[in-house]
Amino acid sequence: MTTSRSDPVTHRGAPEITQVPAGGWRRACLDAHDKGERFGGLFATMRAERPAQLRAVFSTTAGDRVITCETTEGTVQTIVGAIPAAGWDEREAHDLHDVKFAGHDPLRPLLDHSARLAAWTVSTVGHDVHQVAVGPIHAGVIESGHFRFHVVGERILHLDLRLFYKRRGLEAAAAGQPVAAGIAYAQRACAACAVTNSVAYAQACEAALGLAPDRELRRARTLLLELERVYNHLHDISMICAGVGFAPGTMAYAALKERAQRLNERLTWHRFLFDTITVGNGAVSLNSEETEHARRELGAIRQEHATSWRELQFVTSLQQRLGGVGVLSREDAERLGAVGPTARASGVRDDLRADSPRLWYGGFRPAVSDTAAGDVASRMTQRALELDQSLALLDELLARALPPGGVSRVSEETGIGIGRVESPRGATVCLIERDGDRLDAMHLRTGSYANWPVLAQTVVGELLPDFPLINKSFELCYACADR
Amino acid sequence: MFVLLNHLHRLRRSTTPQATGRRGSLALRHVDAGSCNGCEHELTAAANPLYDLQQYGLNVVASPRHADVLLVTGAITTRMATALRVAYDAMPEPRLVAALGDCALGCNLLGQHAELAGALEDIIPVDLRIPGCPPTPAVIAKALTAALHDLQALTPARA
Repeated sequence: MTTSRSDPVTHRGAPEITQVPAGGWRRACLDAHDKGERFGGLFATMRAERPAQLRAVFSTTAGDRVITCETTEGTVQTIVGAIPAAGWDEREAHDLHDVKFAGHDPLRPLLDHSARLAAWTVSTVGHDVHQVAVGPIHAGVIESGHFRFHVVGERILHLDLRLFYKRRGLEAAAAGQPVAAGIAYAQRACAACAVTNSVAYAQACEAALGLAPDRELRRARTLLLELERVYNHLHDISMICAGVGFAPGTMAYAALKERAQRLNERLTWHRFLFDTITVGNGAVSLNSEETEHARRELGAIRQEHATSWRELQFVTSLQQRLGGVGVLSREDAERLGAVGPTARASGVRDDLRADSPRLWYGGFRPAVSDTAAGDVASRMTQRALELDQSLALLDELLARALPPGGVSRVSEETGIGIGRVESPRGATVCLIERDGDRLDAMHLRTGSYANWPVLAQTVVGELLPDFPLINKSFELCYACADR
Repeated sequence: MFVLLNHLHRLRRSTTPQATGRRGSLALRHVDAGSCNGCEHELTAAANPLYDLQQYGLNVVASPRHADVLLVTGAITTRMATALRVAYDAMPEPRLVAALGDCALGCNLLGQHAELAGALEDIIPVDLRIPGCPPTPAVIAKALTAALHDLQALTPARA
């Protein structure tokens, strides 16, 4: 174990709040962007008897900043020209709170399902162009959502996504709850990212409450996050094999995922690690017998994964279907704000774990392959690279018993807090606003939410029958995006 | 590939269907009506080599037209309620509806009142209840293999 991991270097405290008038919104956001601050989401919050409040999150390794303004006239200038990643955020703020973004034209509906077809689709014309509508109910065991492909022959010209069929209104329902109770809503957003979303929420609350986790709590949360990553990445490799109909690979990795989830259950009584995170407290402790068992079991998974992965390299019928399909260039990945394994498979060296003082990742370096080409093959290889990395990290984390951790007060309380966590699908940002012990608002922007529009761009020019494969190589959650 | 197949050959199933001596099959259609994706993960897991539901004649089919059982997951959102009814109406009789997971059973729902359409049984009749958050593949396997052998007992006299 390195000392840099066990000794906290800094504590990312409460975010810096930059209040601007509505007229200065665009300039303030673009200035932050030009300074190299990373966009982490744009949210609108309603306050009683007041116009909607806009918040944009920007982060650097030094800390987080929230640019905020009151939409006095109901309109602000759009920022999508410079920050295309804010496209969905602006559409959502418009649908939910009627905020208008001048210059975002056309401002298509995102959540609003009452809009006519012409309002949310891009019109395509030309010889032989036709539309293929899929969903919301899909043919397999898949989450619900609607895709509208514009195709010429089998070639995809454009894809319009219409998600949010699974919208449960979790964020709105969480508002008004006690701060500690809000975590249930963050967790329920998605089972496969439950730990990530809960940790992001807990971090946001603790930042606002001026609390910092101690060493053991940071270790416990990191352990749970990596256990979540392991079963998800095993699942993703299984699903990519399923995407080309290679059953031996699908089943080998499905069996490995099952083994990882049984270990989760043994350690935390839950296969998806539910209810293992609480605000301001540690909820998990393991004795040395339990950590030793987990370490052995993960060692066995690691070995079996290595054997299976090597075998997959020699299956030409599989490999030949993966190369050169669904290419996301590095430039596009950066421009569109792609996150997670998807971005790293395109050569973007970005991983929030390298900048997580509230967790136990000291000295972490993002795994990026020299041969990252942004295609399905690269995204699959990326999962394998990260599996090795996570399993090695878990081996370190489980070297000794895990006592229950806690938090200590490090700064003053504030009204807004931010949590940022790398989920198996990419950067997840949680922003909370509180009024005393009561939650005023919760906003969750998950890795899936960031990557859905990127997927729609990536499939342009690809074959329609390759869509399921490309989709599986992104493996995004609908539940996480819909909330 | 030989190594992969050889490895799979060594895995042993942890499901045992109820020993009635009868064989049969059920075609399942899954509808996610607003889940957190947990039930989908576990339903997929029920097809992994350790549960292997296909071995017992339980298959997920692409269309409700081919299905005997409608497996519904999730808090039923208002946005999915129509698609759910359309899928149910498309099924041939006799048909069964299974509520998979606590949300579909209307337990411990989280969300905004305006976005939720109510428990599944308020929308379509429910014959089979599989509780859990999410139900484990073992619980899903047990409930479905039991339904396989007990179909007549479960099939309501709705003509």
